[in-house]
Amino acid sequence: MMISAPTLHVIATELTVGMFALSGVAFLLCLIEKGPESREAVAHWAIIGGLLATPLAIITGINSTPSDGISDPLLANKVILSMSSAGIALGVLINRKLGTKVDVKHSSLGLISVGLMLTTAGIGGEYSRGETLLYFVPKDTVLLFPIWASIALIILGLVMISKSAVQHRV
Amino acid sequence: MRFNLILVTIILICSSTISTANPGGKEDDVRSRDCAGSCHSSPSTNGQSTADLQLLFPDKIYAGLLFDMMSSVSNVDVSSNNMVGHNLLVNAEGAKDIPSNDGWEIVTDPNGGTNNFVQVVDSFSTFNTVNSTWTLRAPSTAGMYELYLAVQHGSPQGGIAMTGISTPFEVEVLEVPENLPRLAPDWQPQNSRLIGESTTFSLETLFTDSATVELKNGGEITTLEVVDGEFTIPASVNEGVVEWRVIMEGEGPVQTSPWFRLTSTVPGWEVDEFSLYAQGFGLMLLFLGLVLSFRNTTPRENKDYTHEIQNLQAIVATDTTPEITGPPIPESGLPEGWTEEQWAYYGQEHLDSIQGGVE
Repeated sequence: MMISAPTLHVIATELTVGMFALSGVAFLLCLIEKGPESREAVAHWAIIGGLLATPLAIITGINSTPSDGISDPLLANKVILSMSSAGIALGVLINRKLGTKVDVKHSSLGLISVGLMLTTAGIGGEYSRGETLLYFVPKDTVLLFPIWASIALIILGLVMISKSAVQHRV
Repeated sequence: MRFNLILVTIILICSSTISTANPGGKEDDVRSRDCAGSCHSSPSTNGQSTADLQLLFPDKIYAGLLFDMMSSVSNVDVSSNNMVGHNLLVNAEGAKDIPSNDGWEIVTDPNGGTNNFVQVVDSFSTFNTVNSTWTLRAPSTAGMYELYLAVQHGSPQGGIAMTGISTPFEVEVLEVPENLPRLAPDWQPQNSRLIGESTTFSLETLFTDSATVELKNGGEITTLEVVDGEFTIPASVNEGVVEWRVIMEGEGPVQTSPWFRLTSTVPGWEVDEFSLYAQGFGLMLLFLGLVLSFRNTTPRENKDYTHEIQNLQAIVATDTTPEITGPPIPESGLPEGWTEEQWAYYGQEHLDSIQGGVE
């Protein structure tokens, strides 16, 4: 029996959103320095789980859209926000792996990543059901860069990553 | 603190309301009527619609041929969005009830699509009747069939999802007469187009010597020329619907097709997907690089244990635990086999036992 893409998408998004939400709570506890010592481990392991589920959510989401491809500004914003969130989350995890202390800055970056991913989920709710709590967010407006600007972003990002790697070795 | 949390939780729970239906509907689609658990909350929260539901058919319906029918909804007050979901069905049991199960094909629904569930927005009220036109292809086998019209809508006060279904409408599908001019069974009309684009149709007919097309735009009907089985409907400058039909002449009686509807829409939102994904990938790398550049160079959690070490050293230095020396070693020396350490610990016990005459 085949399971349709929309059903799989619900499963994948709930995994992603649940993991990110848990991570958000743990990062919030890290930020205010309250709660159990395990908050740091929970924050990072949960965001790893969320990141692992994110590609599945994206793929099933694309297959669930009634139209071919991206035909709505909401979907375009979902792509941009989810990939930005994934970038920040990856950075937070790598920093932690390299020994960064879980301070206010680190916790705030984790929270920003979680916020962007939950905003993505909120936009999905508006796309599928026409309702969202994020009514104040201008979701119909998409900031689309020309292709040369995107290539410049990719190059800039790679330069920053490699520079950071060199600094770490030194 | 705990009391406050419980209080806030109770307030949040009490402030929630029972969800009903999907305000604004769930879009046109091919749907069974049994969607109570998914799109209309739970069946226990539904209400019974007061709507009078009718289906009106032409006098003769031929097997496998197209025809127009009309659905009629009256005597109903709905929610403020004036929307009623129309569901064309073949039974009232909520299973295997979509028209294709009996061989019907919806060629054009009232909204210009090919769905058996359509959301119609109109002036529904107890004083008004709203008619909608469907174009169907009859089943390929002659016989008696049943069709139902079901509706789903909100209530004027809100809070309750209303549903209703008509009594069955008996439809007799006749065998196609010999040599009847008609459209080919597998021919499908185009239902929609973008504004600013003219549309050329290629007709496929059977037993037809000549055909003409009538185009209805508003109240005006114009005749279009059919050349080599093709005709063109001019481009539309606004969103809207034009209707057209074919009049076919041949050896048999003259036949007129149903009115087909061609809906003109504005082009949808478009984006270059490669550019969008490149931007998303670029942003991901940029944010990754930015976060990595924010890395705190202080090693994580390298606790300074100097203080603890100093404390331990101080404890060791001030340790005044008396050294256990035991009783003086007898002049005759240690008992045979004893070490000084054993004497220090057990010597006194040994002397006591000797004095007590135990040994």
